[in-house]
Amino acid sequence: MAAAQPPPAGQQLPPPRFEVGVLGWIRENLFSSMLNTVLTVVSAAIIVLALVYGLRWVIAGADWTVIGVLGGQLVIGQYNTESSCPGQNCFWRPQVALMLATALLGMVWAMVGGGVAKRLAIGVVVVITLFAFLPYSFERMGMDVRLLLVANIPAMMIGWAVARYTRISSRGVIIYVVVAFILTVVLLRGIEGIPFLQRVSVPHWGGITLNLLLAVVGIGLSLPIGIALALGRRSNLPVVKLFCVIFIEVFRGVPLITLLFMSQVLVPLAFPEDFHTNSLFRAGIIITLFSSAYMAENIRGGLQALHPGQAEAARALGLSAWQATLLISLPQAIRNVIPAIVGQFIALFKDTSLVYIIGMLDVVEISRAFIQGNAEYLVNAKELFVFLALVFWVFTYTMSYVSQKVEEHMGVGGSPEAALARLGAEGDATMQTMQGRT
Amino acid sequence: MAQMRWLLTYQGVEVWRHTKVIQWTLQIVSGIIVVVLVAWFFTNIANAVQDREIPHGWSFLDREYQTPIGQHFLPYESSDSFGYALGVAAMNTVIVSIVGVILATALGIFIGVSRLSANWLVSKIATVYIEFFRNVPLLVQLFFWFYIILALPPVREGYVIGGGLYVNNAGISMPFPAATGFGAALIWPLLALAGIAAGWGVYRSLLAREVRTGQTSYPIVSGLVTAVIIGAIAWIVVSLVAGDSPYTITSPEPQGRFGRIAGGFTAPAGLVVLLVGLVTYTASFIAEIVRAGIQSVRKGQTEASRALGLSPMETLRYVTFPQALRVIIPPLISQYLNLTKNSSLAGAIGYADLTNVAKTMTQTAPAVSIFLLIMGAYLAMSLTYSLIGNLYNRHIRYTGG
Repeated sequence: MAAAQPPPAGQQLPPPRFEVGVLGWIRENLFSSMLNTVLTVVSAAIIVLALVYGLRWVIAGADWTVIGVLGGQLVIGQYNTESSCPGQNCFWRPQVALMLATALLGMVWAMVGGGVAKRLAIGVVVVITLFAFLPYSFERMGMDVRLLLVANIPAMMIGWAVARYTRISSRGVIIYVVVAFILTVVLLRGIEGIPFLQRVSVPHWGGITLNLLLAVVGIGLSLPIGIALALGRRSNLPVVKLFCVIFIEVFRGVPLITLLFMSQVLVPLAFPEDFHTNSLFRAGIIITLFSSAYMAENIRGGLQALHPGQAEAARALGLSAWQATLLISLPQAIRNVIPAIVGQFIALFKDTSLVYIIGMLDVVEISRAFIQGNAEYLVNAKELFVFLALVFWVFTYTMSYVSQKVEEHMGVGGSPEAALARLGAEGDATMQTMQGRT
Repeated sequence: MAQMRWLLTYQGVEVWRHTKVIQWTLQIVSGIIVVVLVAWFFTNIANAVQDREIPHGWSFLDREYQTPIGQHFLPYESSDSFGYALGVAAMNTVIVSIVGVILATALGIFIGVSRLSANWLVSKIATVYIEFFRNVPLLVQLFFWFYIILALPPVREGYVIGGGLYVNNAGISMPFPAATGFGAALIWPLLALAGIAAGWGVYRSLLAREVRTGQTSYPIVSGLVTAVIIGAIAWIVVSLVAGDSPYTITSPEPQGRFGRIAGGFTAPAGLVVLLVGLVTYTASFIAEIVRAGIQSVRKGQTEASRALGLSPMETLRYVTFPQALRVIIPPLISQYLNLTKNSSLAGAIGYADLTNVAKTMTQTAPAVSIFLLIMGAYLAMSLTYSLIGNLYNRHIRYTGG
């Protein structure tokens, strides 16, 4: 019975080969039981089939030329056509706006000092630069389209250097964001009388630029409005509370596209006739209000989850009711529901694709209109929408990735509370309202 | 001056320092602002409607709509009124949302549980599914499925799966029971329902007995057998009385040169696209809710039930899931609401849902009235879902799972 002999004292045998290392991991995670083995084989088969057919389609089956044909229209819609921008190439204007954004990324990198901000800035600039070397038609875009794409590298570096050597404060960055946004709008809109900046009316704006503009406006405004609504809903002033509850429940209870449609019909009637609004303005307001109703419920969830002792202690220390709310309750509540807030930002960005209902040519609608108008590309519609899905996915996934890193940094990520807040805060708040526990 | 002081004090405190006074002033001021604003908007709208002779009012509801509706589950003729046409469209939305909710829940639970699987590959596939489908706008996904369906072959050259399931660019057709006579078709389902109720009663009483005495009583099997036997007897009796079985299964048959499909049930392309899009999209959110809910149950619960000898499946079924349900239900209801509201994107892919029909109607009827109506309808649907969820939530809280 040689096998059963205990090892001599002082000598340790290595653990069995199948329980540690790569083999151990494989056994533990893929073949731990009969059922597990079957599952592994089935999933592996699914993955192999998906990869084989998917890759074969991507490389050999699919015809991606439709994306190049649409080219600049995906970026900015009908902005750079002969009718909207006659006798000129206006494509440089959104491109300069893009450089303002990459400069901001550089600034944030310098301020945060590496980590996810650095990865984000470098990643974005690399992707933009890669686009300079893709094949697409130059129709009305000119060779400088590539040059201006590559120019994002120095733009980012300038932003980084400015923030690094002037020790810009976070207030400075916020001012830069506001100024850059106004500059972007002015640049896109143009100024009457300046020859190289001729006016391009808003209905010609479109493409992914439109989605991003609406998303930036919505993200910037829906958080403060949402906070105000959440506080209003939790206040002990019955009239204020009533207004907030009605606003939140009505905006959450109906689909966004019906609201957008109503804005198209009602806003021109509700304001005096000399009060001119354009569809971009209306869409921005409606998307912001819609999103702030959801935001209010997320923040209310965070406020409800907060122990009442926090506010009581603040009051006992002599802070006024407003100070206790703004300095003690709100910061903690918001920190706890960051995942839900970012989730709402992502939902808002996805919802910008719904402006098709009021005839705006965002990136999705311009693609659909192109397919409908050019029957020869009907068979390539799949490729176009797969590409669009990828574009949206890159944006939204980046948002959720950055938010996860911020959570980890603040020490709230990964906790079960955070995981639940990501999903449950809003729904839970609703249920509690229904039960009268507000 | 000193005599006037009482005017400026309330309960012995100066009014500008008295919390109650400040609060009520604030409320009255904000109330007045809101009321004035709303009144201003309404006067403007009323004036504009009169000055520019914009059609308004509700009389259109009785007029004939005179426009066909693509798909409808309720009987509909072009000569029906606007009001009834809106009802038909609302039914289309309700059916899509109910079927969508059921399918999305099933798929979402499956994927959510897969994501927690001990098998690394299964969990990664579920993660990729979730991260992809919930991060891409539903509209893009709907268009993708729409153009996939368009790329399918026409009816005559379409795929036929297992002899009965037809898949082609007109939609999906499947065998479906068709009523043979009105009376029998109505009476048998009622009797079958009674059978199901009886089966449920048997299940409950046997379950109670099993819990009370500890004797194995086979509640599920007995309940099912009761329901099936009553249903079968009812079928035979109704067939004998009516001289024909209440339902026959009809199979889809391509007819004519262009292959219009007759018989069976045909889900038209728009409906298929909408359902596939809504279900795959919503399932990714439901999967995350299910995962978070299961993870919220403390590990000691699983370990204790395993230590008591329950299998992993039994642990999930009897210990983890009932406790997770309390966390899952509220956000789940919120997803059901989202699915219902998202079905308003149907217009983009040509399914005649409430919003789509309403938008078409605005060409011949006052837009404001129509959209106020359908917003009210969506609000009513939202409240119904919240109410059901609320009742169920209270139920699982009361019995303690």
